Amino acid sequence: MASNDTCTLEPYRPYGAEIKETRPYSPCRAACPAHTDVQAYVALIAQGKYTEAFEVITSVNPIASVCSMICHHPCEQSCRRCGIDEPLAVRHLKRFAIEKSRDYRRAKRRLIAKTKGKSIGIIGSGPSGLTAARDLADFGYSVTIYERHPVLGGMLASAIPPYRLPREVLNEDINDVVSKGVEVKTNFEVGKDAKLDDLTKKHDAVLIAIGLSQSRSLNIPGERGPGVMLAIPFLEDVAFNRKPALGEKVLVIGGGNVAMDVARSARRLGVNNVEMVCLENEQEIPAWKWEVDEAVEEAIKINYRWGPKAVLREGDRVKGLEVTKVLSVFDANKRFAPTFDPNVTTLLEADTIIITIGQMSNLSFLKDSAVKVDERGRVEWNPATQMSSARNVFVAGEVVTGPGSAIAAVANGHRSALAMHLYLQGESIEGRLPAQEKEKIAPMPAEVVEKIGKLPRLKIKHVAPEVRVKTMDHFEEGYTEKEALEEASRCRGCGGGAVVDKNKCMACLTCMRVCPYGAPVVQAYSEIRPEYCQACGLCAPECPDQAISMVSYDVREIRNSLQATIGKIDASRREPVIAALLCTNHAGILGFDLPKNVKTVPVHCTSRIDILDMLKAFEAGADGVAVVRCNDGTCKYRDITPRVNARVKRVQELLGMLKIEPGRLEILSTASDNGGNLYAGVCAEFSERVKKIGMRTK
Amino acid sequence: MIVGSQKPIDEIWSMVKDFKKVLVFGCNTCVAICHAGGEKEAETIAALIRMKASQEGKQLTVDHLGVMRHCEPEYFEPVIDKVKSYDLVLSTACGVGVNFLSDRTGTVPVYPGINTSFYGAVEAPGVFKELCAGCGNCILHLTGGLCPIARCSKTLMNGPCGGTNKGKCEVSSEIDCVWYLIVERMKKLGTLDKLTEVQPPRNWSTSRDGGPRRISMEHIREFEEKEAAKARM
Repeated sequence: MASNDTCTLEPYRPYGAEIKETRPYSPCRAACPAHTDVQAYVALIAQGKYTEAFEVITSVNPIASVCSMICHHPCEQSCRRCGIDEPLAVRHLKRFAIEKSRDYRRAKRRLIAKTKGKSIGIIGSGPSGLTAARDLADFGYSVTIYERHPVLGGMLASAIPPYRLPREVLNEDINDVVSKGVEVKTNFEVGKDAKLDDLTKKHDAVLIAIGLSQSRSLNIPGERGPGVMLAIPFLEDVAFNRKPALGEKVLVIGGGNVAMDVARSARRLGVNNVEMVCLENEQEIPAWKWEVDEAVEEAIKINYRWGPKAVLREGDRVKGLEVTKVLSVFDANKRFAPTFDPNVTTLLEADTIIITIGQMSNLSFLKDSAVKVDERGRVEWNPATQMSSARNVFVAGEVVTGPGSAIAAVANGHRSALAMHLYLQGESIEGRLPAQEKEKIAPMPAEVVEKIGKLPRLKIKHVAPEVRVKTMDHFEEGYTEKEALEEASRCRGCGGGAVVDKNKCMACLTCMRVCPYGAPVVQAYSEIRPEYCQACGLCAPECPDQAISMVSYDVREIRNSLQATIGKIDASRREPVIAALLCTNHAGILGFDLPKNVKTVPVHCTSRIDILDMLKAFEAGADGVAVVRCNDGTCKYRDITPRVNARVKRVQELLGMLKIEPGRLEILSTASDNGGNLYAGVCAEFSERVKKIGMRTK
Repeated sequence: MIVGSQKPIDEIWSMVKDFKKVLVFGCNTCVAICHAGGEKEAETIAALIRMKASQEGKQLTVDHLGVMRHCEPEYFEPVIDKVKSYDLVLSTACGVGVNFLSDRTGTVPVYPGINTSFYGAVEAPGVFKELCAGCGNCILHLTGGLCPIARCSKTLMNGPCGGTNKGKCEVSSEIDCVWYLIVERMKKLGTLDKLTEVQPPRNWSTSRDGGPRRISMEHIREFEEKEAAKARM
């Protein structure tokens, strides 16, 4: 790439980004450690704006492709649809938007100008290291990543098995970061190939983002010797296709998500008999429920509530694991403090045992450096500044936060990058890093829940267990476009709803009378309670003071765009110019083939169509205007149609005053299950009716 | 509140057609509540004028604006320069607002976009009903809280008249006979006997007699004038 092909990047800001910062976050966004604006990107997907959705996602998440495959999606667990039926399938939607944007993202990769004249070394290239590298490159620093493995990605590349994360997916994220001009030194182990001091001298600041790359072991009798291995070396062998030697019966010790990766990888290496053993019971097991379910589908047996006591051997060969019955795992304060019944023991037969009971960092490279390690073997750090005990050495990710999710490490990487930027600009860091906890919208009140129709989550397909265990291939199918649009339209738009300008509101009660969900409370002025508001947009066009706006869209967008949509009117036209304001719910817009004379304005619901929007279409020269709504039965909101009918009637009256035939405006409805063809049908029929009325000459 | 209704577009057109640059100026209090002249309606009327101009082949710039109230100078002062930059202001405020603004726009005329109708209440969404005539001498305590000045077609003080018909007025079967309502109401209140008292002829000097009315609160004026004098010194 030529040096003049460099740029500085303005982060993408979806509509309403500023006002959202002044209000409680949607629960999905608050739950995401990186505070991804889920509502915004799901709404963009529902509108077919996939690259814009991609921008929203990647504005805060540099490993968005990775997360679209492996994120534990706290957004879903906190989705307010959980109280109605099932959470929105946010991760699958993310995957869809990202896959749709592949060419776009590749085309927009650019070198970033190194304007700051300072350099930064980052040790480790996992989620936090990559995030910091991206942010710091965007700020204009020269960034060098040091990675001990031959490829970037940290645990994503060297430990997450490919059946969960295909490497080409990971590489899309890595290429985004590297293309900014980040220098990469792989096969470079700090402590061996260079000392930390060398790096701190070479760079203006250094970031330690090495994660937890060493497995903990148990220290039980019989542990040392052939047939017993640790999780991380095993997973590294899997990741780099080194085919670790396993026996015929593998026992995995541990019940966390890494233990699931180990057990499920062992199955995929051809071992039919894979068991797990953990201290916890079904409810306590720390692995995600879907991991447990999928492992069980793959014929992996989980032995609950047993604690490892000794590895039993016959000669060198492992015979099995002697285990003791667990009585409890947590004490009264919910702290980890397992108790055992020493009288109940058993033997779990196995010829291979893989220990997966947790990880730690390898901090040997910090010996004799200015970075202090505490008596428990952890790096000393200040969470308010992301600094270690050495002035220009910062820390990020699990090396200091302890085990967590990839997206949590991303969030921590952002903090470190900002901290380093402030430090290098000579500014103080304390108090400048953004709060990690955000206020969120309250749960949906029961009276609102009962007004919302149930709409089950669109399941995605998995490759059948007996087939998927035969390879390391990814086993989860993505959404089709139609499915993605349908799933996206399940979103209740939390946090994207109506806002009253209290300087304009004169408390007339109109919004309160209009709202189907009882969201407005009117005292000195109206306040629309976000926990009630469903963002349908019905209120805004009714407000006589134009005091209501919507967080998630511009209420004037339709009327401002109509002139351009309709374009110049040809005086010699033979077909009438029709403006169709289309409800696009339920993927109705997909694959439709409208006559050329029909100019469409997609709207998320006809609720938002204002009298002024319809008038504007006529003002712009349309011969006919169709408001096309979905069937009442499929509307995601309620009580919309009577209001929209009333608006249409009012506009017909106004048109009458101008001697414009009221028949030039109609509200049409169609079932949308069959995609867009029905839209095309009703629009074509309307066009014929308008043609009979004739072209407008004035 | 003051209730009004929009003038037909043809009448508005006859007022505005000879101007080049027109501002439709909404008032966001009373007339907004009755969906006649708030900012929303001002924008709607502006669109209709533009469409009419296009039909008539006239070049006309028509914008819209709204402020909270036209009847207090503080509300429109911030935009008065903008208002004065038009050839014509079509105010969709009530007559009070049109008058009040007319005194303050220099050479720019202010015309009415709505007909100011009455003092009324929101009986139901979209229904506005006259309940007070602003006569300046309230006698509601004598009539069970229901006003014969505003609501009796004859403004009778000793009703009902012979035209009452099953609770309706002889003027129209759509109009309630307020004297019928007064009787029913006072029965309910247990004060019907008060109606046997004959009300003397009414003193109308507080109403449309003696020219336009003005109320000046002396204690406030005195204070304000002192403050103004201080400011001049």
